[in-house]
Amino acid sequence: MKSTNIWIGEKDLTKDEKFMESVDKEFVSEDSVTTEAVLNQEGNRRDFLKMMGFGLGAATVAAGCDIPVKRAIPYVIKPDEIVPGVANYYATTIVEGGDFCNVLVKTREGRPIKIEGNNSSTITDGGTTSRAQASVLSLYDTNRYKAPQVKDGDGWAAATWDQVDAWMKGKLANGKIRVISNTVLSPAEKAVMNGFGTKFGNAKMITYDPVSAAGILEANETSFGDRVVPGYRFDKADVIVSFGADFLGTWISPMEYAQQYVKGRKIKDVSNPKMSRHYQVESQMTLTGSNADNRILVKPSEQGAAIAYLCNAIVGGVSVPALNAKAKKALDKVASDLRKASGRSLVVSSSNNPAEQILVNAINNLLGNYGKTINFSDAALTRSGNERDLEKLISEIKSGLVDTVIFNKCNPLYDSPIGAQLAAALANVPNKVGLLYAPSETAAICDVIAPVHHNLESWGDAEAKRGHYNLIQPTISPLFDTRQAGLSMLMWSGSDKLDKTSEQPYMTFLKGFCEENIFPKASGFGSFKSFWETTLKDGAAKISSGAAASGFNASVASAATQISKPKSTDLEISFFETANMGNGQGATNPWLMEMPDAVARTTWGNYLAVPVNFDGGRRMEALNGLKDGDLVTLTVGDKAMTVPVIQQFGQMPGTVSLALGYGRENSGAVSNNVGVNVNDCLTVENGLAHYYNASVSVSAKTGEEEHFSSVQYHGTYGVTADDKDGNEINADEATLGMAYGQGGYQGALTDRSVIYNTNVGELKDSIAHLEEKRAEAQHLNDQTLYPFDEYSADKYSQGHHWGMHVDLNACIGCGACTVSCMAENNVPVVGKKEVSRHHEMTWLRIDRYFYGDIESPNTVYQPMMCQHCDNAPCENVCPVSATNHSSEGLNQMAYNRCVGTRYCANNCPYKVRRFNWLDYTTADLFPANQPTLNGEEVPYGADNLTRMVLNPDVTVRSRGVIEKCSFCTQRIQEGKLTAKREGRKLRSSDVRSACQTACPTGAITFGDLNDKSGDLAKALKSPLNYIALEEINVQSSVTYTMKVNNRETSVEA
Amino acid sequence: MICKTLRISFLSSLLLFFVFSLVAAPSADDGKVLFRNYCASCHAKNMKSALTGPALGGAEERWADYPREDLYAWIRNSQAMIATGHPRAVELWNEYKPTVMTAWPDLTDEEIESILLYVNGMYDGTYGVAAGAAAGPVAQTEAVKESNGWLYGILLALMAGLAIFLARVIGNMDRLVAHKEGTEYEGKTLAQTLTSKGIVTFAIFALIVLAGYTTVNRAVNLGRQQTYAPEQPINFSHKTHAGLHKIDCQYCHDGARRSKHAVIPATNTCMNCHKAIKVGSKHGTSELSKIYASIGYDPIKNTYVDEEEYANMSQDDIKTMYVKWITEQYLVSNEIEALDAEGERIVEEQWKGILSSLTNEQKNKVQGPIEWTRIHNLPDHVYFNHSQHVAVGGVECQTCHGKVEEMDVVAQHAPLSMGWCINCHRESEVKFDGNEYYKSYENYHNELASGDREKVTVEDIGGLECQKCHY
Repeated sequence: MKSTNIWIGEKDLTKDEKFMESVDKEFVSEDSVTTEAVLNQEGNRRDFLKMMGFGLGAATVAAGCDIPVKRAIPYVIKPDEIVPGVANYYATTIVEGGDFCNVLVKTREGRPIKIEGNNSSTITDGGTTSRAQASVLSLYDTNRYKAPQVKDGDGWAAATWDQVDAWMKGKLANGKIRVISNTVLSPAEKAVMNGFGTKFGNAKMITYDPVSAAGILEANETSFGDRVVPGYRFDKADVIVSFGADFLGTWISPMEYAQQYVKGRKIKDVSNPKMSRHYQVESQMTLTGSNADNRILVKPSEQGAAIAYLCNAIVGGVSVPALNAKAKKALDKVASDLRKASGRSLVVSSSNNPAEQILVNAINNLLGNYGKTINFSDAALTRSGNERDLEKLISEIKSGLVDTVIFNKCNPLYDSPIGAQLAAALANVPNKVGLLYAPSETAAICDVIAPVHHNLESWGDAEAKRGHYNLIQPTISPLFDTRQAGLSMLMWSGSDKLDKTSEQPYMTFLKGFCEENIFPKASGFGSFKSFWETTLKDGAAKISSGAAASGFNASVASAATQISKPKSTDLEISFFETANMGNGQGATNPWLMEMPDAVARTTWGNYLAVPVNFDGGRRMEALNGLKDGDLVTLTVGDKAMTVPVIQQFGQMPGTVSLALGYGRENSGAVSNNVGVNVNDCLTVENGLAHYYNASVSVSAKTGEEEHFSSVQYHGTYGVTADDKDGNEINADEATLGMAYGQGGYQGALTDRSVIYNTNVGELKDSIAHLEEKRAEAQHLNDQTLYPFDEYSADKYSQGHHWGMHVDLNACIGCGACTVSCMAENNVPVVGKKEVSRHHEMTWLRIDRYFYGDIESPNTVYQPMMCQHCDNAPCENVCPVSATNHSSEGLNQMAYNRCVGTRYCANNCPYKVRRFNWLDYTTADLFPANQPTLNGEEVPYGADNLTRMVLNPDVTVRSRGVIEKCSFCTQRIQEGKLTAKREGRKLRSSDVRSACQTACPTGAITFGDLNDKSGDLAKALKSPLNYIALEEINVQSSVTYTMKVNNRETSVEA
Repeated sequence: MICKTLRISFLSSLLLFFVFSLVAAPSADDGKVLFRNYCASCHAKNMKSALTGPALGGAEERWADYPREDLYAWIRNSQAMIATGHPRAVELWNEYKPTVMTAWPDLTDEEIESILLYVNGMYDGTYGVAAGAAAGPVAQTEAVKESNGWLYGILLALMAGLAIFLARVIGNMDRLVAHKEGTEYEGKTLAQTLTSKGIVTFAIFALIVLAGYTTVNRAVNLGRQQTYAPEQPINFSHKTHAGLHKIDCQYCHDGARRSKHAVIPATNTCMNCHKAIKVGSKHGTSELSKIYASIGYDPIKNTYVDEEEYANMSQDDIKTMYVKWITEQYLVSNEIEALDAEGERIVEEQWKGILSSLTNEQKNKVQGPIEWTRIHNLPDHVYFNHSQHVAVGGVECQTCHGKVEEMDVVAQHAPLSMGWCINCHRESEVKFDGNEYYKSYENYHNELASGDREKVTVEDIGGLECQKCHY
C-alpha cells in the first residue's frame, strides 16, 4: 500500500494516541518526565536548598575573601611548532583492524582534541566516519591499560616491560606460536610478522575479520586467482544492485563507497536530471537499503536463491531454488535494467558463501563491468581475514601443537562465531599474550598483557587499497607505559632491523622499511627524504600497485549447486553491523554508544527489529503484537536472550534482525552488558560465518524495557494527524483544536514543509509544486505588521550573514557529523536512562522520515540543527535575553545569562534546543546531580583524563542552562581572525563547520550568504532548495535540497 | 570609590598631559616622569644618596666648570664621553667603574633640563611645594567631593530637623485634640517612640535595602581582582626589562600577535639573554639562579646539563651545583677568599629561595617549569584573543595592562570586567584602512567616504554581541 504522506515511524503513521498527545508537549510526555530523580533525592534537594541559603551568605562573606590563586605554567623549553592557544594539525590514518580513515588530527598544546577529514587522501577525499571521529575519545579512555599486566591468581599485577620481555623470551623459545590478528593494513607490520614467523619457525599468523568477508575473497581467488576484494566504482555505475551489502554503512570500505555513490545521486542539472538507480536486495532495513531506490525483500536464507535467479536471468544456465514471487518479478526488472547498463552497472553482495559470490562475479563479468566499475589494480585490502584458520587453530590446540598464542589487537573470544569453542580450547594453551589496548573478553583469559599504544600515539603505515600508501604518525607522546604492538614483536623476535638505542625505535624501523620497500614503488620523488616528508605531511601517497587479476575463470553451474538453500522455517533472523558499533569495536566509546543507529534510531543497546504489517484498515500490527520497547525472549538455536523490540518498517515479514557488537563483557563500565551478544548465534557452514539464523523464535511480550532509548519520537515537529472529522491537521495543534472543539486552528497551516521529496521522473512537476509552495509561504510571510524586509535588508547588507545548505540527496544518514559535533562542541554524553527521558544533548541530530510504500518505504535523512532563524521565535520569549541575534545572522546563546526557563525550547519550531537537566559535564558542586552512564562508580567525564578531549575554545555548560548548535561560532571567529590578520577577504575555506568537515559525501555546505561567489552561493542556486517550515516566517538560515529518488515504480517490494 | 579615584587621577593626568603638551618648556613635573622612566632604577630618588649610580643632587654644580652641552652629552652617552677623555667624565668613570651608565641617545635637551629641574627640586626640597601646586586640580576635585559629603550632611540634618519638627507638631496637635475632647493626652517616651511600629519597620526596611545593596555590589565584584599584585616565584622586574632595557613586550610574550594567549615565556626565552647576563643588577645571583635551576644550566661551565640527565639529577647534586655558583659570585663581589658568616647565610638563603620558588605541593623537584602566579584571570566562559587585539586592532599592551614597564611587581591594571570590555568596544575605532578583510563592510566604507560617518567602532561591526566573546 502506498501512503501519500511522510511518516517518522509506526506511532506516527497509525496516529498512536499517546504519541499524538505527546507531540505538543514541550519536551517529553508526562510519564517519561517523572520527577523520579528529584523524588529519589529528596534529602539531596533539601541539602541543596540549605546549601543555596548558605551560598548566598557565603557569597557576601566571600566577597571579602581571597580568590583562589591560579598558576600559569609555561614551558621550560618551548617546542618551535607549538604556540599555546593555536591548534596544530597532523595528517595521520586511523586504523582499526581492517577499517581505516585518512584524517587530520587537531591538537592543542600537544593534545589531540578533534579528528578532521584529510583532503589529501587518495581514497577518502576528506570524509570521515563516526568511528574515526570518536577515536580521539578512546585515547583518553580511563579504562585502557596503563602498564603491562601479569595474571596474578584471579587478578592482575602491574609489571615492567623488562619483566614482560624476559617472560616472553622464555616462553617463545619453544616456538609453537600462533599470532592472531584482524586484517593488518600495515605493510610494515606485515613485515614484522613475517620476521617473527621466520625467527620462530613454528610460528603461524592467523588473520580473521570481526565481520567476515572470506566468501568474497575465496570467490575472487577461484574466479580470478586473486584473493582480494576488488576496487569498486559506485560513481561510474548507473545501476547498482546490492545483495545485502551495506556498502554505505559498514561493508568493506564504506566511506569511500559513500563518497562515490553520492556522486551519482546528486542532481547536477535539473533540466536533464541523471541519477543512478540503486536496488537493494535484503530482509532488514540497512543504512544502504534505506538509501536505495527500490528494496527487494528476500529472507536471509533466500539471498543465494535471489543471486542465482539474477544470474540465471543474465548469464543463464543456473538452476534456481525456490524464491518468493514478488522478488522474482522484481529481479526480472533488475535484470533488464542491468542489461541496458552493461559496463555501467555494479552488482555486489555481502554473502559469505563463496559460491554465491562467484555467481555475482559471473553477473558482473557478463555485464562487462570488470575494468570499468570493478578493477583489481586498486583492490581494497581492508578485508583479508580467513576465519577457517581460527577453526584450524582449535584443532591444532587439541592436538597439542600450540603452546603460545599472541592476540594482536583483536578480540576473537567476543567477535568470532566460534569464540566459545576457542575459549574452551585456549584453556589448554599455557601462554596467552595480549597485545591489547583495553580490557576485553579476550584480555580476560590472557596471562600477560603487553599494552599497545593508541592509534594517535603510534607510528605506522597502511595500504588500504593497492597503490594507496598512508602513514600513521603520533600526535601525542604515549600517555601511559604502553608499547606499539609492532615494536613488541620486533623486540621479542630480536630483529636485527630494530635499533634499540634509537629514541623512537619503531619510527626508525618504519622509516627503514619504507625506504627499502615502499619508496622504490613511488614515482616523482627525488629522494627518500622528500618522499617521507611529503607523505608524512599529506598522510597519503600513491605508489605503483603491481598486481592485476587475470580474466574470469570459474564454473557458474558448479557454483550454483553450492549456494545456500532457502530454509522453510517461519521466522529467520539476520545479524548486522551498525556504522557506529562495528562488531563491538565501538562499544567502549560513549560517543558511539550514544549515537543513534541511523535506521532504528536506537542508542545504548541492540533492539530486535520486528516487521510491521498493515492490517488493511488503519492499524499497523507488528510481529506478535509487539510495540516499541517491549521485552521479548528471543531464542536463536538453543540460546535464549531477553531483548527489547523496535518496530521496523521495511523489515520483511517473517524475518527479524538484531545488531552485532553489543553485549560486551569484561570490557569496562561503558560497554559491559549493554545489549546482547549475538556473535554465537551466527550460522557457521563449511567453516564460514553466515549472518543469519533460521532457527529462531520470538516470544510474546514479557515485559517492558526500563529505559527505552530510541530517539525517533523525541522532539517531533511538523507531523500531521487527523482531527475527529477526519481532516488532516498538524499533530502539534491537534490537542489545541480538539480541546476547543474547533475545526480551525492556530495559524491554520496544516501542510507543513519539513520534507520535500520526489521521483527523478517527476522532477519538473515537483519543482513547479515547490515553487508554488514557496511562493505561498512567502506570501503568507509578507502579511506582517513588522517591516522585516526593511530591517533585514539593512541588517545583513554588509559584513557576514552565515548560512548553511544541506543536500538531502547527498546525506546518507551515516552520523559522522553528529559525533564530530559532539567532539567539537563539548557536547556531553548522558547515558541510557537520560536518553530514555528525552534528555539527549546532541546539537545536531539526523531525523529519519519514511515515505512511499508502507511495506518497504523510501527514507529521507534530514540533519537538523539550530536553523539560526533571522526572525527567531526563541529569542522573543527569553526573559533574560540569554538568546539573541547577532549582526551576522547568528542565533546566539549566552550560557552564563541563561536562567533555565526553557521558554525558548518550548517555542523552537525545530526542537533543536537542549536543556542540561542534570550536571552532564560533571562540573558542578553537587554529585547527586551527576548521572552515571552505565552504573560506573565515577560519573563519566569527572576525571582529568577524559576531560583532555574537551575543546578549550568552547565553554563547558553547567546544569540548568539551554544549549544548541552555534554554527561552530568558534570556527567562525577563528576564520575571520585569520582573514583579518592576513589582511584579505574571507574565503569559503576559512570557515567550515565541524559537521561539514566530517561529512564523507559533502552534503553540508556552510558559509557566508553575503559572499556571492562562495561555495554556499553555488549550492543555493538549485531550484530544488527549500527552507524547512518556511511558512511560519522564522527566516531560517538553513536551506535543504529536495530529496529525489529514482524509484522504479513497477517494482513492488 | 575605586572608579572615582581612577577617574580623578585619570583626569588629573590628562590635565597634566595637556599642560605638558601646551608648554614645551622644561618643567620639574615632566622631569619627574622622565626620571622615573630613565633614571630611577640606578639613581636614588632623594638625590642625596648613591645607589648603583651616584647621587644626582648637585650634579649641575659639579659640572658647572664645563659647557652645558657636556652635561647633556654625558647623560646621553657617558661611555663615548669617557672615550674622548673629558676630565670630569674620566673622573667619574674612575670612581664608579666597572658600572656602566646606560646610554639615552634619544633624550632631548629640554627633557634633560626637565630632569635636572626635578633633580634640583628634590635635592633642595622645593619640588614638593611645586608639586602641590601642580596637584591643584586633584585637591580641588577632592574638595568638591568632600563638599558633596557636606551637602549630604546638611541635607540629612535638615531632613532630620524637619522630621523632629513635624513629629513635634503632630505631638502638639494630638495634645490639642486630646485637650479639646477632654481626654488626657498620653505622651510617648523616647523608648516608646524608638520601638514604635513605624520606626522598627523603617529600620528593617533600611537594613534590607542596605544589605541588598551591599550584597549585590559585592557579588558583582566577586572574582574581580583589579590591582592584584601577587608575589611571584621569581622577583622578575618588568621595570628593569621593559622599562630600563626597553625589551619589546612581544619579544617574550610572543603569543600576543598570533595566539589567543600572550604566553608567559618559556625558560629558554629567558636564557637567550641570561646565558650572558648571569648576575642581576638588583638581586645578583638569587633570582637568576632560579632560571638556571629550572632549565638545568650550569653557569660556571656555561653549558646546559644534558636534558635527561638533569631530569633525573638528585636535589643534592643540583644544590651543590648552584650553591657553588652562588658562593663563587659572592666571593667575587666581596673580593674575599673564603666564605664568611654573612656569605654562608646568603648562600643558604638563596638556595632556599630556589627551592621555595620551584617546588610546591604538586611539584617536588626543582627541575621543570617555573609556576608563576596568574594575575589576569578571565572566567571560563569568556573567550579572549590577544592576536585579535594586538595584531589586528593594534591595541597597545599598556591599554589593558597599564604601564607594566614601570612595575617592579606586576599588578592588574584593568578591572577586566565585562563593562570595561564593552566600554572599550564602544569607543575603539576599527582599523579599516589597508585591511582587505573589512572591505565586506561596504556601507560603512561608503558612509566614511561621503562623510556621513566619522568612524567605525568595534560596536558597529558587532563587537558588543554575546557570541563574540562567549561561546
